[in-house]
Amino acid sequence: MAQRVDPTFMKSLEKFGVKDWKDCFHCGNCTASCPLTEEDYQFPRMVIRQAQMGLKDKLKSNLDLWMCYFCGDCTKTCPREANPCEIMRSIRRFQISAYDWTGLSKKFFTSTTWELSFIIGIGVIVLALFALFLPPSPELWTNPALFLNEQGGVMINNMVESISGPQFVKIIEYGDWTMAVVVGGLLISNILNMFYLTLLKDKSLHIPFTAYFTEFWKLIFHFSTQDKLRKCDDKSYWVGHVLLMTGYTIMFVIIVGLLPKFQIEEIVPWYNWQRLLGYYATIGILVFLIPVVIGRFKKKKCKLKHSHPTDWHFIIMLGLTAISGILVHIFRITGMPIATYISYVLHLAILVPMIMIEVPFSKWSHLAYRPFAIYFAALKKAGVEKEKVEPTPAFA
Amino acid sequence: MKEIRIGVYVCWCGTNIAKMVDVEDVAREIETLDNVVISRDYKYMCSDPGQDLVINDIKKHRLNRVVVSACSPRIHELTFRKALDNAGLNPYMFEMANIREHVSWVHTSREEATKKAKSLVAAAINRVQWHESLDKRSVKINPATLIIGGGISGISAALEIADAGKQVYLVEKSGNLGGYAARINLTSPYMYSSSQMINPKIEKVLNHPNIKVFLDTQVEEVSGYVGNFETKVNGNGKITNLEFGNIILAIGLKTFDPSGIENYQYGKLPDIVTSLEFEDILNSGEIKKKDGVEPQNIAIIHCVGSRNDNYHEYCSRLCCKNGLKYANQIRSALPGSNIYEIYADMRAIGKGCEELYSITSRKDIMFLMFDQKNGIPEIRKAPEKEPCSMLIEMDEKLSGERVEIPADLVILMVAKEAHPEAKKLGQTVGISMCGNQFFIERHPKLDPVATTTDGVYVVGSCQAPKDMPDSVAQARAAAARILATINKGEVEVEVTTAVVNEDICCGCQTCINVCPYTAISFNEEKSISSVNEVLCKGCGTCGSTCPTGAIKAQHFTDQQILSQINGLLSKTLELKEV
Repeated sequence: MAQRVDPTFMKSLEKFGVKDWKDCFHCGNCTASCPLTEEDYQFPRMVIRQAQMGLKDKLKSNLDLWMCYFCGDCTKTCPREANPCEIMRSIRRFQISAYDWTGLSKKFFTSTTWELSFIIGIGVIVLALFALFLPPSPELWTNPALFLNEQGGVMINNMVESISGPQFVKIIEYGDWTMAVVVGGLLISNILNMFYLTLLKDKSLHIPFTAYFTEFWKLIFHFSTQDKLRKCDDKSYWVGHVLLMTGYTIMFVIIVGLLPKFQIEEIVPWYNWQRLLGYYATIGILVFLIPVVIGRFKKKKCKLKHSHPTDWHFIIMLGLTAISGILVHIFRITGMPIATYISYVLHLAILVPMIMIEVPFSKWSHLAYRPFAIYFAALKKAGVEKEKVEPTPAFA
Repeated sequence: MKEIRIGVYVCWCGTNIAKMVDVEDVAREIETLDNVVISRDYKYMCSDPGQDLVINDIKKHRLNRVVVSACSPRIHELTFRKALDNAGLNPYMFEMANIREHVSWVHTSREEATKKAKSLVAAAINRVQWHESLDKRSVKINPATLIIGGGISGISAALEIADAGKQVYLVEKSGNLGGYAARINLTSPYMYSSSQMINPKIEKVLNHPNIKVFLDTQVEEVSGYVGNFETKVNGNGKITNLEFGNIILAIGLKTFDPSGIENYQYGKLPDIVTSLEFEDILNSGEIKKKDGVEPQNIAIIHCVGSRNDNYHEYCSRLCCKNGLKYANQIRSALPGSNIYEIYADMRAIGKGCEELYSITSRKDIMFLMFDQKNGIPEIRKAPEKEPCSMLIEMDEKLSGERVEIPADLVILMVAKEAHPEAKKLGQTVGISMCGNQFFIERHPKLDPVATTTDGVYVVGSCQAPKDMPDSVAQARAAAARILATINKGEVEVEVTTAVVNEDICCGCQTCINVCPYTAISFNEEKSISSVNEVLCKGCGTCGSTCPTGAIKAQHFTDQQILSQINGLLSKTLELKEV
C-alpha cells in the first residue's frame, strides 16, 4: 500500500526543534559513523528520509529513533552540516507527542508558554496547599528553640502548626503516593499507546507470547545500565547518565517508599545510610547537571549546541530542586527553623511540577520510552523472525 | 641502385626498455647485418641530443636510411621523420621498430625479450631498404565555409568566421534561426534569459555582410574534398550551388517523445507536459493548467527516456539542471505550491550546477529518488474525492517505501535524441555515427571537433547532447580550426596514398567498389581507374583487392611488407638455431 507523501510535514516539525533538515541529501555518512546503529535499526539517515517525505505513520511506529542515545557522533561527520543528531532528537519530541494521548506533550513541546504556565501553576497550587492546610507554626518566630532537637538541628516534622511528628510525614507521603500514581498512570498509559502505535497497529506482526517474558530483561538492563551510551566516542556521556539515573532512582525510592525513615526528627551521623544515599543522589544529579549547563552555554559540543526551551526547563527545574533540597538539609543541620520551613515548601513547589510535567509529558519521559523502545524492538524482531520461519518440506 | 647505408639506433627509454632488453647486445648484433653502417644504443633517442645523434650520423656517415628501435611509432615516428628532414634526408626513408610496447612492457624474460627485439629490428632493416622518397603535397583552400544548422552552435561558429572576414553560408532547415535556444525561457544555472542572449546574435547574423543565410533550405548533396567542396542546397525548390572549403555540421538534436512510455500517460491525461512544452508555458508568463487554474502540486520527473535500457542508455546531460531550474522558477512564481523532483540520480553537471542543486534542495522541494531497474514511476488519474488531479506511485529508493505523490501538473524531463536527419546528412558528407546516431568526432579526447573526413567539423548537440556553453565552445573551436587552415591558404594531404600503374590496370573497377573514401574514379577515356590523392587515406583496401596488382599503396608496397616479414623470420629462425 502506497503511503502519501506530505511536503508540509517537515515545516510542522520545525516547532519541535528541527532546523537543518533541508541540508540532508542522504549520503549516509551519519549511519556509517554511528556507533549504535545496527543492521536491524538504521538511523539517522533512514529516519530523516521518512521525515523529509512526511511519512507520519511510519515515524510514529518507528522504534529505531529510540535506539539513538544522542551522542552526536553523526553530526560531527555530516558533510552538509545537517545536524542529524539534532533532527533525531527533534523527531523524538514529535514521537513523545504522538504517544501522549492527552495532547499536552504537543502543547509543551511546541509552546513555551504552555509548559511554563503549567509548571508555575502546579507550583502555585503546592504553595497554596501549604498556605491553606499546612501553615507554619507562629512559634517558629517567637520561640525557635522549641523546634530544635538535642543535636541542635531542626525537628522538621514539627514546623507545621496543625499537625506534627509522624502525622506530618504521613500527609506528605500520601501526597507523594498520589503524585506517583497520577504521574505513573499517565506515563504507563502513554507507554501503552506507544505499544499500540509501534507494535499492535501493525496487523501483520504476530509476536510470540513467550517473547514478552524472555525479552523483558532488556527493559530492566537498559534502564539501569544505560549500556548503549557506552558505545559513544565520548564515554563521559555514559558516566553522567548512569549517575543521574541512579541518583533519581534512589531519590524516588527514598521519597515514595521510605519517607518516614528518611524525613526524621533527629540528625543522624553523616555516615548513616539515610544521609549517604541522599548525598550520593544529590552528587549524582549535580555531577550530571553542572557540565550540561556549562556545555549548553558554551555551545561547543554538538549535542549541547542547540537547546530547545524544554531542555532548559528541565535543567532549571532539576537544578532548582537539587539546590532547594540542599538548602533544606543545610538549614536543618544548622538549626534554622524558619529557613528550613520556607526552603522545604519551595523544594516541594519545584519538585512536584517538575515530576508532574517532565516525567509523563516532556523531556524527562525519555527515561521510560528508551528502555521500553528497546524492549518493544526486541518483541518486534521476535515477531518478524517468527514470520520468517520457512515451512519444512514433508519429505525432508 | 644507389648504395644503401642504414643507421640503426636502439633506445633505452631510460629503464623502460633497458631493464628487459639487453639494448647493447641488440645494437652490437645488428651492426653485423648487411647494409648497416652504424648501430648505436642511447638512453633517450627522442631527446634533443638523441635526435642530434641521428642528424650528425646522417651527415658524417652519409646514411640514406634510418631505423630507430624504440617506442610506438604513434608516439615518435613524426619526431624522427622531422629529424631526417632536418638532416636533408627524405622523411620517409625511416622505419621504427617498437621494442617497448611490443617487447619490454609485455615480456618477463630478459633473454627472450632481447631475441624478439633483434627480430623486430632486423625486420625494420629489411623493410627500410625498399623505402622510397615521397613528397608532401598540398591543396589550395576555398576560404568560404558552409554551416548546416542555425541554432546557437551554428550561429556562434558563423559569427566567429564571418567576423574574421571570411564568407559563411548558413543553411537552416526551418524558417527561423535560433533553434532550441530561442524557444527556452531562462537558462540554467544562472537564470539568464535565453531570448535576450540569442536574439541580438540572430539579428547580427541576418545583417552580417559575410554571412549568407538560407532559411527553409536543405542540403541535398555534397561533393569534393577538404578545401574544395561543392554542394546543392534546396530552398523550397530553389536550387543554389555553393562552393566552399570547409563544412560545419550543427544540426542539433530532437527531444524524446514520451507517449511510448505507458507509465507516464503522456497525451492521455491533460496536464502532463514535456520539458520543452513547459518552456512554452513559462514563456506564456504564467504557470497554469490546461483548465486555466494554478496547479498546487507540481511533479518534475527526470530521466524520461534517458539512462534506461528500454529507451536510451545514455545520460542526456541537460535534464537534471533544467529540472532544478524549473523547480526554482515554479517556487518563485507559486510560492505556496508543493514541488516534487522525482529523479533517478542527480547529475547536475557543469559550472554552477551543483550549486544550483544545493540552492534548490533548500527551497522546500521534495526530492524523491527512483531506481530505473525497479521500474519507473506510474502516473494515474486521481479519484474524484482527492484534492489533486493525478497520483504518481513509485518505489522511493532512499527510504525503501512505496509512496504516492499528489500532482496537478507533471513535467517530463525528456531525453535528448539525435536529429532524425543526422544519418542522411552524415552519409551525404561522408562521416560516421555512433550507435545512438550522434556524429562521431575524430578523437573523443584529443580531437572532439573534427571528424575523420578532413574539412568536416561537428559542433553542438549533433555530436552528443550539450548545453549552451559547451555548444558555443565547440562551435568557436571549429571556427578557429577552419580560420587557421584558411589562413594557411592550403592544406597538406596524405602522401602515403594509392597510385595506379596505368600500364597494368585493366579497368575492372573492383577498386572503385571497395574504396571507403570514394577516392577512386573511372577514367572512361583511358578505361582505367584513377585515384584522387586528396581523398585517399592510404588504407590499402584497393591494393589488396586489385586482381592485377595495378594499384599500390605507397609506403606499404608488397615489396616492403614482404621483405619486412622476411627479415622478421630470418632473424627468428637464425636465433632459434642458436
